[in-house]
Amino acid sequence: MFKNLLAALGILTSLVGCGQIPEGEKVIKVALVCPLTGDIAAMGQGMKRGAEMAVEEANASGRLGGIKLELAAFDDRGDPKEAVSVANQIISDTKIAGVIGHLNSGCSIPASQIYAKRNLLMMTPASTNPKLTLQGLKNVFRVCTTDDVQGSFGANYCIDNLKITTVAVIHDKTAYGQGLAEEFKKQFESRHGKILSFDGINIGDKDFRALLTRIKNEKPSLLYFGGMYSECGLITKQAKELGLTVPVISGDGIYSLEYIKIGGKSTEGDYASMIGLPQDKLPKAKEFMDEFKAKYPETDMQPYDPYTYEATCILIEAIEKTNKEPALKIVDYVSKIKYSGILGETAFDEKGDTLNKTISIYQIKNGKFVYCE
Amino acid sequence: MFFEQLVNGLTLGSIYALFALGYTMVYGILLMINFAHSEIFMVGAYIGFLVLFSILAFPPQFLPIYFLLCFILSMLGAGLLAVIVERIAYKPLRKASRLTPLISAIGVSIFLQNLIMLTVGAQSKTYPDKLPITQFHFFDVQISSLQIFIFGLSILLMIILNIFVSRTKLGKAMRAVAENHTVSQLMGINVNTIISLVFLIGGGLGGIAGVLNGLYYGSIKYNMGFLLGIKAFTAAVLGGIGNIKGAMVGGFILGIAEALAAGYISSESKDIIAFVILILVLLFRPAGIFGEEVTEKI
Repeated sequence: MFKNLLAALGILTSLVGCGQIPEGEKVIKVALVCPLTGDIAAMGQGMKRGAEMAVEEANASGRLGGIKLELAAFDDRGDPKEAVSVANQIISDTKIAGVIGHLNSGCSIPASQIYAKRNLLMMTPASTNPKLTLQGLKNVFRVCTTDDVQGSFGANYCIDNLKITTVAVIHDKTAYGQGLAEEFKKQFESRHGKILSFDGINIGDKDFRALLTRIKNEKPSLLYFGGMYSECGLITKQAKELGLTVPVISGDGIYSLEYIKIGGKSTEGDYASMIGLPQDKLPKAKEFMDEFKAKYPETDMQPYDPYTYEATCILIEAIEKTNKEPALKIVDYVSKIKYSGILGETAFDEKGDTLNKTISIYQIKNGKFVYCE
Repeated sequence: MFFEQLVNGLTLGSIYALFALGYTMVYGILLMINFAHSEIFMVGAYIGFLVLFSILAFPPQFLPIYFLLCFILSMLGAGLLAVIVERIAYKPLRKASRLTPLISAIGVSIFLQNLIMLTVGAQSKTYPDKLPITQFHFFDVQISSLQIFIFGLSILLMIILNIFVSRTKLGKAMRAVAENHTVSQLMGINVNTIISLVFLIGGGLGGIAGVLNGLYYGSIKYNMGFLLGIKAFTAAVLGGIGNIKGAMVGGFILGIAEALAAGYISSESKDIIAFVILILVLLFRPAGIFGEEVTEKI
């Protein structure tokens, strides 16, 4: 009885669903995959906002002709195992034209191989580990700069601007965190800086006091961290409580107001390198910022909201063009694209990496990220 | 550096010990491992967060009273939740095979975790840091007032618990029930009330451990109980599960071992060291460090 009812309900809802779409209108889905729950859900939820804005704009503009775009958001919880199972789910849905995601490099790398089976476009707004595009996959693109650029930029900044030569490095053993920390170490040592220690921590750990006590005795002038804000916030807090009062410098993984919320006053004076230029230095970004504020007045913008917006816009343009010329494949179109958007000019090299490789550095002052260089 | 690591280890160990008491007391009286205890701990931390968050608006001069209120409420809340869980999920299964309540406990644990995740949210919450923390320096060692507070409060609670169990009539009843349910019933002890009492005390201590954990690390999350729960359970087994003194000692040993391992070897190896100690203790003393005193087992 109950099953019959369910079936009837299913038919009913599908009938209603059909009724809303005018005849001849084609539904194309854009998949977004990122951690919507878990430790770094704040960043993932931000990515979802960025993608939603792009899809809604495109639907409202009417430039897609007979196509109705739908955003299908998937949750990978920042977990590589989960990412693979979500990726398998995505390639079985033929309405999905392309994937925006993932956030973590550790998720993007295994998932990209699954999308490659169907030559499904995957564009990541946030995964910065260089290995992702070194796999020789034609369907993988990224709109953000890689860790080798970011890590060595951080190392150069320490030596040239902060005049620091002794650093202790901590990383979270993920593809992103460890990758970034290793790139930093390589460049820092090649410029005759001294790495006093290089330690890994476990994601989800809360107690770093024992490690930090040891590092304190090494007397570094700075702590470099490769990883995400949830661990880094606790590290900076515990370091300062232990009397290790040197600044922490890290990458785009901590460039979020959540970092300041977790670390509190201890984050004052810490540095974060971030891919791209600050939004107020890019002419087209202003429009996006205003629109974002109008749409989500209560919410702080997370670091990857604009990147996800940009990636989604690029995919939508590809959908629009390939729909007019059915012979053209989305992946081929994107590989030759020259897109001018809120991040500036985006074009991809043969590996799928963006040619726009700017890095900025921010310092936390009075609970805000302030642009330094 | 050795003494600094010792301070880190003792603070961590205090939280483990308080947390482990809940496992060990329930095991002592029902011979079951209460896997839902890690979620009682988490709920305690959330109640503390709620209390501290809602009193932020009040004048700050009564701060000690607020904190007292926060501890009492989270202790009561967590304790009552433990009692309710026992009544709903374990009591009907008391006559079933030993595996059944264990599965039920895992079910409760998953249920509570997801309940908090769906109602409060999946993101971590930041504990309001209203506690004025001062740093003390003894020679080379730096100790914060919060570390002293955590250590002192857990020692105090453990002393009270020990006196309660060994000197009072109710404590005597608890020890009797731990030895034999039927005989204690014949002696006029209400076994159900005593079991509820054990859950109330164990849950309450777990709730306080949750608040202390929140104050110490500054952020809490719906799944915070899982990893810490495994560690606290390890502490209970290390000391001899079912033995109250064993849980306390086990907690401190585990905390210190982790701190020294992270400090002297590497932070990656601290879990390995902790569990190697557990395996070694179990190989040479299968009942744990304090395991043999059967009479003292709740």
